[in-house]
Amino acid sequence: MYLNRISMVCALTGRAEVIRVMLKDQGAEFDEKVITMEMWKESTLKASCLFGQLPIFEDGDLTLYQTNAIRRHLARKLGLYGKDQREAALIDMMDEAIQDLLNKYIKLMFEKDDSGKEGYLKALPTDLKPFEKTLSGDKGSFLVGDKISLADYALVILLIHHQVLSPPCLHAFPSLQSYLKRLCARPNLHAYFHSDDFKNRPIIPGKRT
Amino acid sequence: MGPYTITYFGVRGRCGAMRIMMADQGQEWKEIVVDFADWMKGDLKATCVFGQLPKLEDGGFALYQSNAILRHLGRNHDAYGKDGKEAALIDMMCDGVEDLRLKYVKMIYQEYDTGKDVYIKDLPNHLDKFEAVMAKNKTGFLVGDKPSFADYSLFEVLLNHLVLCSSCLDTFPSLKSFVEKMSARPKIKTFLDSEAYKKLPINGNGKQ
Repeated sequence: MYLNRISMVCALTGRAEVIRVMLKDQGAEFDEKVITMEMWKESTLKASCLFGQLPIFEDGDLTLYQTNAIRRHLARKLGLYGKDQREAALIDMMDEAIQDLLNKYIKLMFEKDDSGKEGYLKALPTDLKPFEKTLSGDKGSFLVGDKISLADYALVILLIHHQVLSPPCLHAFPSLQSYLKRLCARPNLHAYFHSDDFKNRPIIPGKRT
Repeated sequence: MGPYTITYFGVRGRCGAMRIMMADQGQEWKEIVVDFADWMKGDLKATCVFGQLPKLEDGGFALYQSNAILRHLGRNHDAYGKDGKEAALIDMMCDGVEDLRLKYVKMIYQEYDTGKDVYIKDLPNHLDKFEAVMAKNKTGFLVGDKPSFADYSLFEVLLNHLVLCSSCLDTFPSLKSFVEKMSARPKIKTFLDSEAYKKLPINGNGKQ
């Protein structure tokens, strides 16, 4: 499907990665302007952003802020939002839960020290269990329906981040393991995850993983 | 679509916006009120996909996550913009409201006594974004010319903030007018005047 060239301005943050992964997998072309923290502090860009935040996304004459609004817009354009209204609602539900866990993860990453890590990892199986349950049995290959959706891209990135944080975290979750393996084997994702572009990009700039 | 059932605790909380939306859209719904002590026993919790409430049932279809529910209602009731562009802007505004809601909830549950004054002082720095969008759109709604789920969410969060600080919209004329107009919509007015609405505390810890 032809997609307008998309410009994206974003800092090297974990949040924008979900957008990149979706576009890369779908073979959609986009321009990307990376803003460093120094540039952000020095420029008037922040004042021009609706909520004072990045990313900014431009698609033709539409300027969008808020990572998840951007993701939803792209998902609608690229056919990654389920086959009907019911699937769309379930995709939203899955995505909201993934965002909850992502927010917890980001909060942990920005803590001053490692004191919260133990508690976080102890709670992690409870957080991952609903996704394991959804993907197990004869449900199919994706979180909702039989096609990849915006929620799947978010979960893939979340799982990759968590494997960096704690390599054994998926040991008790065979369906999540096989899901991750399957999705990472998709040709465009496989190429992207093995690229220098991905490997050289810190999950959260300046923070430990 | 429908019939609708909401399963939730006896508070407005994360069901505030969806109830106002359903009321305005002329929808009836059933309420299943969960006692917190019963909830802690775990039987109902175990049936919820993410171990959380609220739950919306739309006919035989069960949905969790309050913002997923708002979007679903938006699709059901033509409150998600007239095209893809409006839908994207509505998503963006709803996400902005959610950010504010999260800050509010954090203050209410974790920092009320120590953080309330600072929160109120900082509030204009968050409300000004919504004021700017509302003023620019000129229709009395955030996006387009009819209420979207983002409007219901913003309206509800502003009602809660007016309880926290009755003067918080005094320097935001577009937001003040928005609240007045939404409150005056007949079905919303009936709902806000109802016992069903008034009897519920906003938050679970009684702070507001």
